[in-house]
Amino acid sequence: MAACTKGLDRFGLSLRFLRTQQLQHERFLSTSLSRLSPVDTTEPPKFTPPPRPVIIDKTQDAASQRRFLSPEFIPPRQRTEPLKFAIERIDMIRRRKVLNIPEFYVGSILAVTMADPNASGKINRFVGICIQRGGKGLGATFVLRNIIDNQGVEICYELYSPRIQKIEVLKLEKRLDDNLMYLRDALPEYSTVDPDMKPVPLPTTGEVPVNKTKVKMRPKPWSKRWERPKFKIQGILFDLCLTPRRMEHAQKWAQPWLEYDMLKEYDTTKLEEEILSEVEREMSK
Amino acid sequence: MPPGLTQFYFLFLQGKKLVTNKVTQLRDTLNLLSCSPAQFVGSIRTLKTTTWFEEHLTEDNQQYMRKTAAEEYRRQTAEKLNPLKDEPWQRHEWAEGSRRVGLVAVKLGMAPIWTKTGERHVVTMLQVQDCHVLKSVSKEEFDGHTAALIVGGKNISPFYRSEKEMEMFRNAGVPPKQKVTTFKVTDNALIKPGTPLYAAHFRPGQFVDVTAKSIGKGFQGVMKRWGFKGQPASHGQTKTHRRPGASGPGGDPAKVFKGKKMPGMMGNIYITAYGLKIWRVNTKYNVLYVNGSVPGHRNCLVKVRDTVLPTRSSTLLNPPFPTYFTEEEGDLDEDLYDDNLFIHTEPSLTLS
Repeated sequence: MAACTKGLDRFGLSLRFLRTQQLQHERFLSTSLSRLSPVDTTEPPKFTPPPRPVIIDKTQDAASQRRFLSPEFIPPRQRTEPLKFAIERIDMIRRRKVLNIPEFYVGSILAVTMADPNASGKINRFVGICIQRGGKGLGATFVLRNIIDNQGVEICYELYSPRIQKIEVLKLEKRLDDNLMYLRDALPEYSTVDPDMKPVPLPTTGEVPVNKTKVKMRPKPWSKRWERPKFKIQGILFDLCLTPRRMEHAQKWAQPWLEYDMLKEYDTTKLEEEILSEVEREMSK
Repeated sequence: MPPGLTQFYFLFLQGKKLVTNKVTQLRDTLNLLSCSPAQFVGSIRTLKTTTWFEEHLTEDNQQYMRKTAAEEYRRQTAEKLNPLKDEPWQRHEWAEGSRRVGLVAVKLGMAPIWTKTGERHVVTMLQVQDCHVLKSVSKEEFDGHTAALIVGGKNISPFYRSEKEMEMFRNAGVPPKQKVTTFKVTDNALIKPGTPLYAAHFRPGQFVDVTAKSIGKGFQGVMKRWGFKGQPASHGQTKTHRRPGASGPGGDPAKVFKGKKMPGMMGNIYITAYGLKIWRVNTKYNVLYVNGSVPGHRNCLVKVRDTVLPTRSSTLLNPPFPTYFTEEEGDLDEDLYDDNLFIHTEPSLTLS
């Protein structure tokens, strides 16, 4: 009993030491235990074991508090019966109740675990940077890119495929562009991701951070002429690879009148709000 | 106004003068006829047998008419929901070789599905909207070989139909339909007119044929229409890149054979896709999930029937005969799935 008291004493002391050193961290166990520590009482109270440390992993399990609607829920602008998308949404929500599909963007680093009949152990985990999201409804896809053994590898995953077993977001961030296909023509260091990367903790509220890195490109020819105005690429350092004259030449293909074309406007804010509330209602059921 | 009437009108006006000089009369008549009829009648309407629906109606009255028509539709549909209760026709048992009626459905679009082995297939979603049997034609009336059922799908406004067209719908007691089609059936599969047809008429695992009008491509050349090779782009070609080339041998037949593939109108013809598997049936929204693609554009009306392929007919074992009646099998699940289909409420697949 005496040894216990002594130990408890020492524990309390170390806690006080921590407090004075301002070393508090959320992953440490709660320091509020110190009020139980008898400092000057002669009769120690009944021994209570310290509570188990609660480690909150804020990177994965904590659900995002942002109101977020995955882009594949928004129906494309066409003359399809809205009922078709509503029926698909029912299936999408059913699948989302079984598999946690987290919030992610183009530019985020993801790890996808997938059942693969040809892999050893029948399971394949791939880590990479998301360079494109495509498709609407159940057919939504995303492309992960990584460089493995100096060889660029891209895998296109179907978001609602039953073979997908787990989707982890290792680093949640956005980039300057909505499509990072130009990473194919960039230096390999920009698409290289460590396969054993640990999840980076990020706040679950507030805005998603935007990574403002601009990539250096390999010399031309590229898979596409990224300097052309239709791609609207922000994330390439064009100064390093193109002369000002060629940059000016690319403006020949600019179509500045298109942004004033009112028939091409597709305002989804109202639709998005409706679908988001419907999805939230159904997911909470 | 017909020319005879014009002449009569003219005679009535200037009868006195006509009697005196017949030559003048003839010349004047010709003059009058040669001037435009629009000027005479004072209207540009060409259809003169009937009036437009809203021609003599105020805005309020039009709205009232539309509202009552919609109510009438609802009443008619509600009346027909239980066809087995009021004076049902005699029913027969399903026998090998019987041909059932089909459905008229709307093509919603395409979606992916996955099987339990993780394979992905694409399906076309077909929705059965307000599908009713309109008329039953016996063997003698139809062609002497087989009986037929006339089926319609998708309600439309009654105000732009002629009386002749409306007669069949009125006899069946259902709203007018956009698409009316005929299904040849065996005598034991005849159904009373007015019976509603549902998507549960077909069951997952069976195979169907889907007929629809394909998307029109207009007048096309041989490369697009028939897949000809065309000619090279360069190497001395002069004005010859996408042309058909020769159309046949020269001297001996000395003609172009009939049926030679040539440029012309492409698409916009009825095409049947045979032997498509039904993966899933949604009984709440009456949606069929049919394997693969189906002719026709989005929102077009298609005709779905049991397949005629002899190798696939064995999938049709004990189907709802002559059709699915809600009061008989009202306790169907909302979704009927094929055995091999992955259902999204199941956990993720682990392959071995």
